[in-house]
Amino acid sequence: MIAIEKLRAEVTTANVLSPLRVLSASGQLGYGVPETAFNEGVKRKPHFIGCDMGSIDPGPYYLGSGQIATSDAQTRGDLTTVLRGARSIDVPLIIGTAGCAGASPHLDTVLAMVRDIAREEGLHFKLASIRADMPRDAVKRAIRSGKVRPLGAIPALTESDVDASTQLVGQMGIEAFQRALNAGADVVIAGRACDTAVYAAIPGMLGYPLGPAMHMAKIVECASLCTTPGGRDALLGTLDAQGNGSFIVDSMNPIRNASPMSVAAHSLYEQGDPYRVYEPEGTLHVDTARYEQLDVHRCCISGARWEPATQFTVKIEGAAKVGERALMLAGCADPRAIAAMKEILPAVEKTVRELTAKTVTEKFEVYHRVYGIDGVFNWPSPPATMPREVFVMVEIIAQTAAAAKSVATVFKQFLLHHGFPGRISTGGNLAFPFTPPEVVTGPAYRFSAYHVMEANDLPALFPVSVESL
Amino acid sequence: MKLIDIARVIRSKNAGPTTLTLDLLFNDEAGYQLALQSPALQPAAIAPLYGLRADQVELIPYPPAIAIKIAMDRTIVAGNPGDRDVYGAQQHTPLLELDL
Repeated sequence: MIAIEKLRAEVTTANVLSPLRVLSASGQLGYGVPETAFNEGVKRKPHFIGCDMGSIDPGPYYLGSGQIATSDAQTRGDLTTVLRGARSIDVPLIIGTAGCAGASPHLDTVLAMVRDIAREEGLHFKLASIRADMPRDAVKRAIRSGKVRPLGAIPALTESDVDASTQLVGQMGIEAFQRALNAGADVVIAGRACDTAVYAAIPGMLGYPLGPAMHMAKIVECASLCTTPGGRDALLGTLDAQGNGSFIVDSMNPIRNASPMSVAAHSLYEQGDPYRVYEPEGTLHVDTARYEQLDVHRCCISGARWEPATQFTVKIEGAAKVGERALMLAGCADPRAIAAMKEILPAVEKTVRELTAKTVTEKFEVYHRVYGIDGVFNWPSPPATMPREVFVMVEIIAQTAAAAKSVATVFKQFLLHHGFPGRISTGGNLAFPFTPPEVVTGPAYRFSAYHVMEANDLPALFPVSVESL
Repeated sequence: MKLIDIARVIRSKNAGPTTLTLDLLFNDEAGYQLALQSPALQPAAIAPLYGLRADQVELIPYPPAIAIKIAMDRTIVAGNPGDRDVYGAQQHTPLLELDL
């Protein structure tokens, strides 16, 4: 019997569903899974274990480059922990958004690790993988027929954005995970996926009400972040199908208590709209949710509603390379140079552009940030009093690393010796903690797509393949 | 009354790379109501602090957590060249000293 059918038999007695225990091992697999709480979770005999690996938060680099955001060693360690845990009690393990960004290179890196671990640990199971790379022709057709729209403040998607994207993925919903489970999977490793789909796919296919199931998925996907104090420990969700459905959240670390306030506040986190969550197959409404304290440690939540979509939609994310990046890093403590720094930097840039006109023939971009003045926030006016020291970062993006470094090197020398009105410190305007102060950091990317696309054939966008390990 | 005197959390974070959100969690119902009614927290007052138009800022009351969410357009897509804060986690500072 395949894993999902075994699960169905386990939770169903005379057409009545018993409570479903769902263990969230990690909201960001690859940064360390606290083992005490995870092991406590495994002892509670969850019906399945889920983890999310992904986020768009770290910016376009990881998606664009195909590099995973977490370290190889830590990722391998975390995967070993959750694979051992799930296999020790023979329950499904569902992992969403492999390698942070969930394009094929990220998925392939994680799948290779999973195969290695299975071999080393002597684990045998059916492994399903789900790709999330969007077919470029299908996206272009959707653009032409007006079925792609921006998500927030980004221009309309063009066919040249699609061509420029080194990676272009879509967020899969529960449908893709359900197909993988129906194909017999014990372990599902997905490319780019909705965080919620990791946890709502199984409840959905077993017949639990989708409103509470999706709401539970939304809360548990960050592990114990919804508790006080918040943390990364594993969290157990128990979904009850009785009545209109409800769920209990229970951190596997006894010091992390869930309260109506802490769980409700979590609905705000990283959400543009705290009342609605848009998924490919519908919308979760949490405005009617009720939060009740069960005991000092646990909270019970009910009342969320699921509204099925009349038109499936997929969030698409793309990243395109903009060039190669080099940095010039330096400090400054001279009060006159600090006061004039916002005028000095554009003046030096002008000089550098003139001096490099013959040696660097390609176009390049220059961005300066003066930490202490406006490095972090784009303040509309300068501070009332200038800081004692500032840190200056000059960023060059050119088509080649050699050109970017060449410009950064010239910039360093002319910023060091730039003369400005009132200068008295003629030895140099900058302090370098070490040399060389120019650093080549590699390719730079931009988000080329953050849009939503109408889609009719979800299976065609998210193909599943199964292998036996 | 300053916002920092009645709020227990004042945080910023991206909600996707094109939207910045500010979450204000209050100590009690009285502080929440006071903030909700303050002109200083209305989109027309918040927008110029972030170099935006009022129609690019939305204020959403969230009674279950006695909280206010302010969602706004990012002026630059997260992590694109020229950005200053990829995660958007340090964009709350103009609100700390806000007089309500």
